[in-house]
Formats: sequence, structure tokens, C-alpha cells
Amino acid sequence: MTSEDTGFLYPFIDAEETDAAALLSDLAASARAKAVESAALRRRSLDECGPVLAAAAAEIARRFAAGGRMFTFGNGGSSTDAATLAGLFAHPPEHPPLPAWSLTADQAILTALGNDVGFELVFARQLIARGDGGDIAVAVSTSGSSADLTVALREARRQGMYTVGFAGYDGGEFADSPDVDACLVVRSQSVHRIQESQALLGHRLWSLVHSHLGRPDAVSEGQP
Amino acid sequence: MSTAAPAPLVDEALAADLADASLTLARRFAAGATLWCLAPAWEPHAHHVAVEFVHPVVVGKRALPAVALTGPDLVPSVRISVRPGDVVLAVAAADDSAVASVMRRAPAWGVTTLWIGNGERPPQGAADHVLWLDDPAPSLPATGGFVLLYHVLWELTHVCFEHPGLLTTAPDCTDEVCVTCSDEGRLAEVLTPASGLDPATARTAQGTERVDTTLVGPVAPGDLVLVHAGLAISRIDPEEP
Repeated sequence: MTSEDTGFLYPFIDAEETDAAALLSDLAASARAKAVESAALRRRSLDECGPVLAAAAAEIARRFAAGGRMFTFGNGGSSTDAATLAGLFAHPPEHPPLPAWSLTADQAILTALGNDVGFELVFARQLIARGDGGDIAVAVSTSGSSADLTVALREARRQGMYTVGFAGYDGGEFADSPDVDACLVVRSQSVHRIQESQALLGHRLWSLVHSHLGRPDAVSEGQP
Repeated sequence: MSTAAPAPLVDEALAADLADASLTLARRFAAGATLWCLAPAWEPHAHHVAVEFVHPVVVGKRALPAVALTGPDLVPSVRISVRPGDVVLAVAAADDSAVASVMRRAPAWGVTTLWIGNGERPPQGAADHVLWLDDPAPSLPATGGFVLLYHVLWELTHVCFEHPGLLTTAPDCTDEVCVTCSDEGRLAEVLTPASGLDPATARTAQGTERVDTTLVGPVAPGDLVLVHAGLAISRIDPEEP
């Protein structure tokens, strides 16, 4: 891919350019390179996060079996990935459905909280209203440091929820936070590549939770 | 599980499709298009695509008009939203009837279409650009594969903006009978049926036209017909590709 900085290396790039073939060839090569990079990162992230995923899945399965519910949240593109994850649990194409919601789904609540008490509290206040100590909170972020997410995770922890934090880069504040039980870090500097790997980690988490729930002893383990 | 194997998802054919789709999208944006995003079964994807274009993660990249259309009655929502020259991007399975209907009607609205999905492919020509993953796993939409495709689409579209000379080129018309630029049979969506001496009116890529429906019989709003020289010459089933 060429950027403005390297434009001088590509003298054919100018307003007079009329043949798209060279550009299309560059674009296709770039698409393949990005897909290879994404696949390598997804493979590495699955490996690195394997132990944390296994532990998180066991505890989440135990909580679902005991009547716990899952709340997911994030900002921007990550809010949509959080919603996809909640949808995967709640409306799965296979496996039984489990109670899971995205906390960005209700625009009345989101804007009421954002306007009245400040954006940092848009998720924490919903957890105060709806949360229970037996529930599961899942924060999806690339920075791992968004204030509305760290505040919500603190509230979740205060209530006794199990907390999962998806992050990128070096994990941000999630990495060292006592409020995060399971920190899943995708070690990349690219927001796009981070999100692609996080989706796969979330899918793996869902799959592992159902492996636990599918075992004959899973439900009895979780019941008091 | 097949979806768990993170092999590169983009082969040479898909890479070429992504390149073509990106250049088309950049050209449409350059001409003033809005991108309308649909994902009836996995709505967060529609929102993700929209926020990607409106609020880029890469600082300095221009904000582009993109909107997620969600909820019930998708076809009527798209119908009133789109203007000629716009682009519709759907993330949906090939058997999604609402998306198939939107794709079928798009030529009558003057809209370019992109269709992202997995498993069985839509029929040939169902959309202008089909970006497809062959893995049929029903949970694939939640594995990040689609996210990769629309991320790359966004990234390549912005590369195209560095080539202003290529953004004004008119799209090639290589079809033997091109429904968008010849009058062999342009797609039209009926707005009002014929009444008394007044002919029916229909929406085409060129705007609202009066259409003689004598040959095809009574028509109702939303019906699709092929129009040749002001005459509806045949009906098109909106459910059939």
C-alpha cells in the first residue's frame, strides 16, 4: 500500500492517472497481505490466550448453569463486536441459547445516562440497575483503557460479577486491573487486526462455554 | 470446528473482488454516494460498517457518509433511503429474502450493491460485488471473518482516494445487454398503477417515469417490470434472482 509519505516512490500516482489495472493489482496484493497478517495474529492470539480462555469458559459455564446472565459492552466498532458476542450467546445458530445482552442496545437508556450523568457511567449505571453478583460482565476494547469500560468493570467487580476484558496493544489498564478476572489481550498495534482476533477469541469462548455446559456434571456443579 | 482454524480467509479471487469493490465504492463516494448498510440476521455488522466509514480509526482519514438500516420492513426502509448513485452493502446469507429483494430492486433505484456472506453463494449477478467466504459454518458471522472483509474494504477504499485520477472514470459497461445504460430493458419498480387514461408510474435509475403496462396487465406498487421504450415488456419476480 502506498501512503502520502511514500507517494514520491510511485510517480504514476497523480491526478492524470487513468489506468486502474495497476491500482487494482496493488489493492488485491494488499488485501491478501492483510488477510495473512490477520490470520497469523488470530492464530497467535488463540495460543497466547488459551489458558485464560479455558479458565474463563469454566467459570462462565458454572455461572450460566447457576442462573447467571451475561452483559457485554464496548465503544464504537467494539460495541458492535460486543453485541455480536451477546447475540452469539443469546441467539446461537447451534447450542442452546443463554441469557446475554449488549448494553448498547437501548438508545433511550444510553442517551439518558450519557446526557444526565456523563458518558463514563453509561455502562456502570446499567449494571447497578440490572446486575447481580452471579452475573458475567464482558468489556470489549482495543485500548483496554476506555473510562466507561473501566468504571463498569469496577462496578461489576463490586457486585461480585465475573469480569472479562478484551483488549489490544499491551492490554492497557485492563492488563493490571484487579477488576478484570480474565484479560484477553490481542498483541497488535492495528485496531482492525485487533478486532478481527477478538471476534475469534469471543467465538472460541462461546464454544468452550458450551463444551462445559454439555458435560453431564456441568449443571449439578453449578447448583447450590 | 472449521471456523476455528484461522487460515488466511482471502484467496486470490476474493482479493480481486475486494479490490474491484473498493474502487467502485471509492468512485461512488467521490461522486457523492451514501453507503447504506444492512445485516438483518447479524445487525451489529451493519453498525460496524457504518461507524468504520463515518468515524475512521485511522486519524486523518476522511469521514464518509454511511448509515446502518436495521429493524423490520427492511425493503421499505431501503426504498425510501437510497438515492440514485448510492451504494447498499449487505452482510447476509444468500437465502436472506429481504436482502435478496433489496438486491433485485437495486437497479431500479440506481444503486450499486455489495453482498458479504458465507456458505452457499448468491446466484451469479445477484449483486454488483459479491465478497464471499465459502465456509458454511452457521456461526462464522461471529468469528471475525466478515469483520476482516469490511475492514479491508474500508482500508482499500481509502487507498483509492490517493488516486484521484481513477475516481472519476465512468464504470465500464461490458455486459452484452447492460440494463443500466441501454434501453434494452431497464428495471423499474411500480409506484402507482395505471388508472383510467393515466399510465402507471415507476421508479427507475433515471427517476420517475410513466410506463405503459398494457402488455403485462395490472400492476401494483412495488412490482418489478422491465421497461423498453416506455413500455413494460415483462414482469420480474422480486424473489427470483
